[in-house]
Amino acid sequence: MAALEVSELSHSFGSLDVLSDISLRVGQGEFVSIVGPSGSGKSTLFHLVGGLLKPTAGKISIGGEDAVGRRGLIGYMPQAPALMPWRTIEDNVVLARELGGVRKKEARGLAREWLSKVGLDGFARSYPHQLSGGMQQRVAFLRALLADKELICLDEPFSALDAMLRAEMHRWLLDIWEQNRRSILFVTHSIEEALLLSDSVYVFTRRPATVLERVEVPFDRPRRDEVVDDPTFIRLRRRLTDLLTASPR
Amino acid sequence: MRRWLPPTLTVVGLLILWQVYTTVSGIESWLLPSPKDIWDAFVDQRDVLATHTLATTELTLLGFAAGVATGLLVAVLLHLIPGVRAAVYPLLVISQNVPTIAIAPLLVVWLGFGIAPKLVVIVLVCFFPVAVATLDGLGRSDAAINDYMLMSGANRRQLFTKLQWPAALPAMFSGLKIAATYSVLGAIIAEWLGSEEGIGRYMIAQKSAFRADRLFVAIAIIVVLALAIFGLVRLAEKLTIRGRASGRS
Ligand SMILES: Nc1ncnc2c1ncn2[C@@H]1O[C@H](COP(=O)(O)OP(=O)(O)OP(=O)(O)O)[C@@H](O)[C@H]1O
Ligand SMILES: [Mg+2]
Repeated sequence: MAALEVSELSHSFGSLDVLSDISLRVGQGEFVSIVGPSGSGKSTLFHLVGGLLKPTAGKISIGGEDAVGRRGLIGYMPQAPALMPWRTIEDNVVLARELGGVRKKEARGLAREWLSKVGLDGFARSYPHQLSGGMQQRVAFLRALLADKELICLDEPFSALDAMLRAEMHRWLLDIWEQNRRSILFVTHSIEEALLLSDSVYVFTRRPATVLERVEVPFDRPRRDEVVDDPTFIRLRRRLTDLLTASPR
Repeated sequence: MRRWLPPTLTVVGLLILWQVYTTVSGIESWLLPSPKDIWDAFVDQRDVLATHTLATTELTLLGFAAGVATGLLVAVLLHLIPGVRAAVYPLLVISQNVPTIAIAPLLVVWLGFGIAPKLVVIVLVCFFPVAVATLDGLGRSDAAINDYMLMSGANRRQLFTKLQWPAALPAMFSGLKIAATYSVLGAIIAEWLGSEEGIGRYMIAQKSAFRADRLFVAIAIIVVLALAIFGLVRLAEKLTIRGRASGRS
């Protein structure tokens, strides 16, 4: 049973066709990435999976159950952090749990524990406007993780981080994932990031997006940072770059 | 502290100019009393004024509370019940074009000379800014956070209590500040309708006696009272609003 199974999914906003006949699969405990041009419909796909939008056509199932139009099934990190400016960082982190019926106070301890793991100890009582963009992204990331769902959808989670911090977050994300083995669907603009983290990578075309190619990433787990120097890695990176730049309109 | 200095200096300067003008021009003091005359009138009337001020303060606070409660109730009802907003909101706006002073005698006819018509006058002037500002705030919560909440499975109640209401607080306080100022005005008008005590009642008596000095004292008391209530609202705002929203005034 797949954590997420999307089949022949299409979506249009009025006359604007955004997704066209998308099929993809995230197996139990798999890490799957999507790369694609800006505006191709990646965030829209997440909105469909999260039940915010209903697709024009096609099927979505989460954990084997029909999930079209059903909300509250995934841990979600939106492209913009979307933190509540009036809530402290710890209270923002526990929001998704709170929606699931857990008391704020009970969840706070866990939130603080995780905050220190992402280098945000001492910020539990701060407010979002006191944090940098990258720090806010990490908070939004924790909020998705602590939603405690089997499937986690991350929409460009590390786009606002510098290269050093990004590498650190990759290491950290892989650690958590290798320990907990949740199923992750991950959108990124960085081919290198996708190859470094994923079991498989889907390449989307320009709008209306279709799946141009699905690439299996063959490297062992746990992955080491040196994998980027591996000839296979370099070849795959070349190939994906070519696919993306040559992507037909 | 710095912030207070320039306006304070301006006021002191104006008072000095005023004093000099009245002394030099020799204008009749029943027409334009000097600041010194006004101060003397205040000292002379202290005890009487204390009773009247207390009565007006009580009426104002009671009316303000009732007006705010009405305003919030109207805002929440219009926001939560679909269709009602479109049906009622335009009427609400039009109703504000009827001058309160024009309805006041009617209220006396209906409700007699007790406290009821006075409270209704204050409620009429107070509820509107609160209702409109709050309604506006309720409808303007951040779209990205709203989407996040929906995808995380928030129900209507959670959307209201965790997002729309807290997001509306800064707007609500803007409305409260306007209502705070209006409430004193409402109380004075209400007392003009006919009452045993209160600054409004005092003013009517002094007007008949051509005591401009005492009228000025009454005006000064009204201003101080309005400022005090405004200050209370500001304090409540500071204690309530957290995070970035507190930066707005
Ligand atoms: N609610 C909406 N109504 C109408 N059009 C929309 C809506 N949301 C997105 N679109 C359009 O759908 C297309 C895809 O948008 P989407 O945000 O999914 O792209 P994306 O792949 O996530 O891009 P990026 O990589 O820049 O984040 C865009 O052309 C956008 O204008
Ligand atoms: Mg996007």
